[in-house]
Amino acid sequence: MKNISRAICIATTALVVAAGAAVAQVPYDRIVKAESEPANWLTYAGSYKSQRYTQLDQINKQNVTQLKPAWVYQLRTGGVFETSPVVVDGVMYMTEPPSTVTALDVRTGRALWSWTPKIPDDVIVIGSPPVNRGVAVLDNMVYAGSIAGHLAALDAKSGALRWDVAVDDNKIGYYLTLAPLAIDGKIIVGVSGAENGIRGFVDAYDAKTGKRVWRRHTIPAPGEPGNDTWGPKDAWKTGGGSTWLTGSYDPELKLLYWQTGNPGPDWNGDNRPGDNLYTCSVLALNPDDGTIKWHFQFTPHDTHDWDANETMILFEAAVGGRARKLLAQANRNGFYYVLDRATGEFVTGTAFVKQTWADGLDAKGRAIAKKGLDPSAEGILVYPSIQGAANWHSPSYSPKTNLFYQTAVEMGTIFYKGEAVYKPGIGFTAGGGRTINGDDGWSAVRALEATTGKLKWEFKLLSAGRSSLLSTAGGLVFGGTEEGNFFALDADTGKPLWDTQLGANIRGIPVSFGLDGKQYVAIAAGFALFVFGLP
Amino acid sequence: MITKRGLCAGAIVLSLAAFPARVGAQSKADIDGGKLLFQGMCTECHGAGGAGGDAPSLNRPKLLHAPTDAALVNILQNGIPNTAMPRVRRFTDSETRQLVAYIRSLGKLSDGKVPGDARKGGEIYKNLGCAGCHIVNGAGGNLGPDLSDIGFMRGATYLRQAIVDPGAALPKGVLQVPARGYAEYLPLRIVTKQGSEVRGIRVNEDTFTIQVRDQAGKFYSLRKTDLELLEKQSGKSLMPSFATRLTAPELTDLVAYLVSLQGVAP
Repeated sequence: MKNISRAICIATTALVVAAGAAVAQVPYDRIVKAESEPANWLTYAGSYKSQRYTQLDQINKQNVTQLKPAWVYQLRTGGVFETSPVVVDGVMYMTEPPSTVTALDVRTGRALWSWTPKIPDDVIVIGSPPVNRGVAVLDNMVYAGSIAGHLAALDAKSGALRWDVAVDDNKIGYYLTLAPLAIDGKIIVGVSGAENGIRGFVDAYDAKTGKRVWRRHTIPAPGEPGNDTWGPKDAWKTGGGSTWLTGSYDPELKLLYWQTGNPGPDWNGDNRPGDNLYTCSVLALNPDDGTIKWHFQFTPHDTHDWDANETMILFEAAVGGRARKLLAQANRNGFYYVLDRATGEFVTGTAFVKQTWADGLDAKGRAIAKKGLDPSAEGILVYPSIQGAANWHSPSYSPKTNLFYQTAVEMGTIFYKGEAVYKPGIGFTAGGGRTINGDDGWSAVRALEATTGKLKWEFKLLSAGRSSLLSTAGGLVFGGTEEGNFFALDADTGKPLWDTQLGANIRGIPVSFGLDGKQYVAIAAGFALFVFGLP
Repeated sequence: MITKRGLCAGAIVLSLAAFPARVGAQSKADIDGGKLLFQGMCTECHGAGGAGGDAPSLNRPKLLHAPTDAALVNILQNGIPNTAMPRVRRFTDSETRQLVAYIRSLGKLSDGKVPGDARKGGEIYKNLGCAGCHIVNGAGGNLGPDLSDIGFMRGATYLRQAIVDPGAALPKGVLQVPARGYAEYLPLRIVTKQGSEVRGIRVNEDTFTIQVRDQAGKFYSLRKTDLELLEKQSGKSLMPSFATRLTAPELTDLVAYLVSLQGVAP
């Protein structure tokens, strides 16, 4: 604990020094070593490994009951508030729905600046609420996407716009909700819109100029490997495969991991026979040119809207007596997967919720899908639900416990197949689903052994909430419920140690940071951002 | 007081302009197509043929939320905010046309009248002491649901069942769905770690706490870690069955009275 407090102080000092000199404030090297300065929270998920874990241990199992609000920031407008703040040297950069970026003084919560992009009145947002999950920082700039389909670079000190690019055309359904990922000199983004018949991609932009460096489509064109998984017609053109949540990065392997969403149309696969590569997959990309080093598809030929965009956590562990660089994901389709992140080789996988669509996974990790469970006109009940066992809500991994923490949603859906009619800018979904009347869907925070997926403990939540989680070196897991409870669990046992009522559903994604030798935890709930610390 | 209906009607008016309906003439093929869609998605709540169930009956000439086809299209496309009516899924134009055709065809099968004498039913309501637990137009107790607009919210079949077998008429499951816009009247039996017992209706609940009102109207706010037992009695109701206390004609009259309670016009 003493060490951590010192780390907080050192970080604060370093910051002031850096700010005083005319050097880049957050150079790439600082993000690579983000774990060495836990007083800051430098990326969407805390580090390139996306572990959403803090080494700060000042708030611990013994004193967590003393947590008190330090300050609250209220949104000026409403909206679904799903931000994961970034904290750099005493400034918090967060996003307000739908696409505003605001910088706050972390000592007081007072706004330093705020920037709102132009959003046309007829903006097309189909497939999610008009949300924004956060920013990226690199050097002296802050980067954010918008539901208008743009990516903007702002001056970190003033909020002044440095550049703005249209990533793609919102008129045909492209929009951005994710926090960009900043790597060496490049800003990486993905897009939402697979309910609009878009053709998904991952883009890299020059961080200084906004010039696009490369684009990797997630649906191969004719002549490219994988196009033959779309049937003979033009289904690939409207194939979806959106890339709407932030990826992870391994600077040593120089591999960028990005996840892809459902094929289009969602619930009617008749016109897209085949596996529909690379939807519902993870792509390992060369960050220099976007070429695919390897891919792994979780749900071939998906017809249940089980996007694979869930956060991928990178970690190291011994498997079979051999040290491995691993990548883990709790997938919307109900299975937990562990892959070798150097090669894409399947290591292990197991169901982490009730699922009725597959007889397990084969030796290569491909689901053994049952027949006859495609959506139909009269409806068919399948588990997990249309929103999936996992979704955008962040998992967490603690290197101290080697546990993967995931809010798992236990719920089924009656899936319907509808007519598939593509019109640009109109929803291209061809079906949908509903819950069974009286189905008590619920969720639980589950701790899975990271290398096996075996359940260590669970903490049940009242309803089917999507609690994003933060684990800490203080032995805690923080999360929030649909009914407004912000809580801390014992990371080893799942025992609830502390909770407080924030007055509205919690869609925010928790982060932790330090200031003046004290640790804080931040969470968005309802229309406000709350910051908690010890008295 | 702004009623639920008032809110819903407002929402419909606001969005009418955004969804101009061009539903057109209703062909037999459209009605048949709509019936298929309806059976898959709608009957579980609205009943077979739209006769009602956990949701309002639709086999009436006038639908208050959907006086026009444009309003009906809007409900199909967006659901009704703050009620249990969701947007089940996104429909194409032809699917929408088929659903509208079928739902409108239901209204032509019935004149919306139910048998029985509503005036006599009102007397029965008074004599049975229903007002001890239910409010109608501002008068009565609040242990059970307000019935001022129950004739709009529920069909005759459901109301008959609710009198004869109240537990079966409660919402299925034990989960609160705030978006439904009504309470679940879930009976609870609670024993605290100190050994005291509370029986009542759930007022609210989250993962860590629960709020309860007992039959005497006393309110309890409890932390779940202080409880030995928390039994959610799904399928049970605090309301007694009136099956043996009413003759068949009396039951019909009482149902007619409840059907006549249409609330305040939006």
